[in-house]
Amino acid sequence: MSADAIVVGAGVNGLVAATYLAQAGRKVVVLEAKDRLGGACRTASFASGFQGPTLAHALYALDPRAVAELKLARRGLKFAVRDMPLVLLRADGKHLVIGRDVRAAARAIAVHSRADAEVWPRFRRELFDLARAMRPFWWDEAGKKMPAAIGMLHRLGLAAWLDSQFESDAVKAALAGDAAPLSPLAPGSSLLLVWRAAQEMCGLQGASAIPLGGPGALIDALTAAAKIAGVEFRTGVHVSDILMKDGAAAGTVLDSGDEIAASLVLASFSRRQLLATRAGRAAFGFSQAAELERSVPAAASAKVLLALNTPPAFGGIAVPLRGRFVLADRVETFVTAHAAARAGRLPEELPMEIVFPTVGDPALAPLGQHVVSIRIAPLPRHVTGGWDAARLAAKAIAALDRCASGLARHVTAAQVLTPDDIAAGAEDECVESVERMLSHWPSRIRTPIDGLFLCGAASEPVGAVSGRAGRIAAALALREAAR
Amino acid sequence: MTKPLVRATPFHARTAAANLENAWVTRNGITLASFHTDTNDEALAARLRVAMADISWRWRIMLEGARVVEFLSKLVTRDVSRLAPGTSLKALWLADGGGLRGAAVIARYGRESFLLAASAPDMDWIALAAAAYDVKLRDMREEGGLAIVGPYAQATVNAAQLTADLEPLAFRKLSWRGIDVTLSRFGEHGGYEIWCAPDDGILVWDRIARAGERFGLMPAGVAAMDLLDLEAGIVRPERDYAPARDGNANGPSAVALGLEFLIDPDHRTFNGRTAFLAAREKEAKRLAGIEIDSDRPAPFTPLLLKGSAVGHTLRSVWSPALRRAIALAQIDVSAIAPGTKLTLTLPPSLAVPELRTSEARVSALPFLKVPDPIVP
Repeated sequence: MSADAIVVGAGVNGLVAATYLAQAGRKVVVLEAKDRLGGACRTASFASGFQGPTLAHALYALDPRAVAELKLARRGLKFAVRDMPLVLLRADGKHLVIGRDVRAAARAIAVHSRADAEVWPRFRRELFDLARAMRPFWWDEAGKKMPAAIGMLHRLGLAAWLDSQFESDAVKAALAGDAAPLSPLAPGSSLLLVWRAAQEMCGLQGASAIPLGGPGALIDALTAAAKIAGVEFRTGVHVSDILMKDGAAAGTVLDSGDEIAASLVLASFSRRQLLATRAGRAAFGFSQAAELERSVPAAASAKVLLALNTPPAFGGIAVPLRGRFVLADRVETFVTAHAAARAGRLPEELPMEIVFPTVGDPALAPLGQHVVSIRIAPLPRHVTGGWDAARLAAKAIAALDRCASGLARHVTAAQVLTPDDIAAGAEDECVESVERMLSHWPSRIRTPIDGLFLCGAASEPVGAVSGRAGRIAAALALREAAR
Repeated sequence: MTKPLVRATPFHARTAAANLENAWVTRNGITLASFHTDTNDEALAARLRVAMADISWRWRIMLEGARVVEFLSKLVTRDVSRLAPGTSLKALWLADGGGLRGAAVIARYGRESFLLAASAPDMDWIALAAAAYDVKLRDMREEGGLAIVGPYAQATVNAAQLTADLEPLAFRKLSWRGIDVTLSRFGEHGGYEIWCAPDDGILVWDRIARAGERFGLMPAGVAAMDLLDLEAGIVRPERDYAPARDGNANGPSAVALGLEFLIDPDHRTFNGRTAFLAAREKEAKRLAGIEIDSDRPAPFTPLLLKGSAVGHTLRSVWSPALRRAIALAQIDVSAIAPGTKLTLTLPPSLAVPELRTSEARVSALPFLKVPDPIVP
């Protein structure tokens, strides 16, 4: 079997890359190891009558250019929630709601600190201005020069930056939740907040959104676009190696031993995954290989889906249920969680992001019932004695129950994906770092093997459901193939 | 017991007895006689008669494993896969950025075992790389190594009742009157090397000393062997150049050190190949010899052509065979033609404290060819 181009991995990036390649007239085949498409972006049934987002539960970094150019709206992509306010949950009922309305947000902040309420409009304006200045760098391959506006931020820890602006734990903890991949003490972790603010969903800067039908609906729209462009799919095939000919990629080798020839290969691999192949091992220099082997991501995440037989209710200040909820007392919650993750211990307080997918999209559960989607991060990759899914779920439910009392009694079913379960899907391979955020697109996409390009989430500045890496990798691959 | 900072070689008892001026040097953590009687006499003996030298300081590791060929294909700059057991080749290894890290003799002992013998250790790099290929490393530095060089080297080995019918770069394990040794011809000076177990060192030394007596054999120290290397235009890491130690280093350049012939560009898999090939064309310097019109050596000195610098010398010595000071040098391609007249400044010394300039000429390498063996 042969094709012009092979795309390995049918996640968002893989599908985007495949569609662009096919639209450029290439014969493209997509190889997916699982039986179904989607990667980190799936909606699946987890209890009788209940559907929920298997991994990613809100989209905040989808590439608007890919959405427009691939005409995803015409392929059925609609949004159930377009702009989710950020809600910090607190056990004392003094929840903090930060929405797009700056004045309303300032009023909410004033409950915690008058000074912070005064600072908020200016801080938000500066953050969004800075984020827009960084956009060309993060959004396009052409954006080669790091904007001077970034100043000291690439060396400043998020904790220090927030401390210099705000006094209340609530505001700082709410913002720190958006920069969870790095410890708030890590130099440059401030950039994560800027990167997040540089994103755009549904035309709104720094917004988070949920597609109608869950994240799986995005995959359905992308698959439809890919099929119209002529992309061929093969699922359940595992790529074990890159086929080499005359020092360049010439296709892929499957676990079955079959070979598929193609002059272009775009793989949703991380560099570490590429190193695990024979061709990758031969292509990387010894020093590069050693560097990659050292850079194992310390932090992982877990995902819990709960079925509720009643609408969730929180005491205290009224909160909009279509928001995204952060459960963390202080910035230090993230600091200690990262430290625990590095030490291989379960943190005392679990930092959680909670979404209620059924609020915008009631079709995901039986009438009157709800789905709770919880992402717990950071967690250690391994804990001594192995992961105990039931204990992790109980701990998460107990933490949530402190803010929404009585919620635990209404949980009728639960699905837990521990870091082990998620790692088995190999979607959590990204090592977040400031270097990665400030490196150029081609350096993340190109490999030491000619004709092989990395188009997965690991090639993004920050690992997220985006499609930008797929779009840029396809453009880069087509340009280099034309040479 | 703590590990000694410097180690003695299996021949130490004999080299110490012959070391009349108590002149010692340390190389790779091993103490060695710098010279026994006189460096120049020893070097001339190696050129005109026969000399033996303790080369136990060479870094040697045995590489073993099912994937050792795959590993060496990635490590070194030439293809070892078609090397037959009992033969060897010389090759380099490069950093990811194309910088030269080391040079070695790679000798094939068996289907899945190779010996790597080099002038300077690079254990971290090779151990790191070998781990990924499940290749086991065995340190062989305990073994003694004795080099026999000179026109009467073959005659001496024959007289010691060792089979000497070896091609250059070949080696053979032998049972030699009750002791197991490996006889090899890895060296650049047309001689032989005997590798033996640590306990057999004295026996090997005495047997060769006795066999070489009638050919005027002298024990040569490190200084005389270094002098022979320079006359033969041989560069070694840590002595003639600082090898790359950073994994991404792009220097030193193998081209500028005259070692490009040890890189096979058609061997596709070696580490640093892309970077090396990209940098090769841009490298303007080449290795050459310099004959200085003076008897004072001039190491690490700029070389001027009509007042502008065209290169610099590396190591420099007074050559007893040429009866003048000579040096290795890195010179621009434009000024590399043998006979090109250059000027340099001689370093001040106790006898001549002021700076003086001297004429020098570019010379082809080697300065002196290896003498043909004489079999009486």
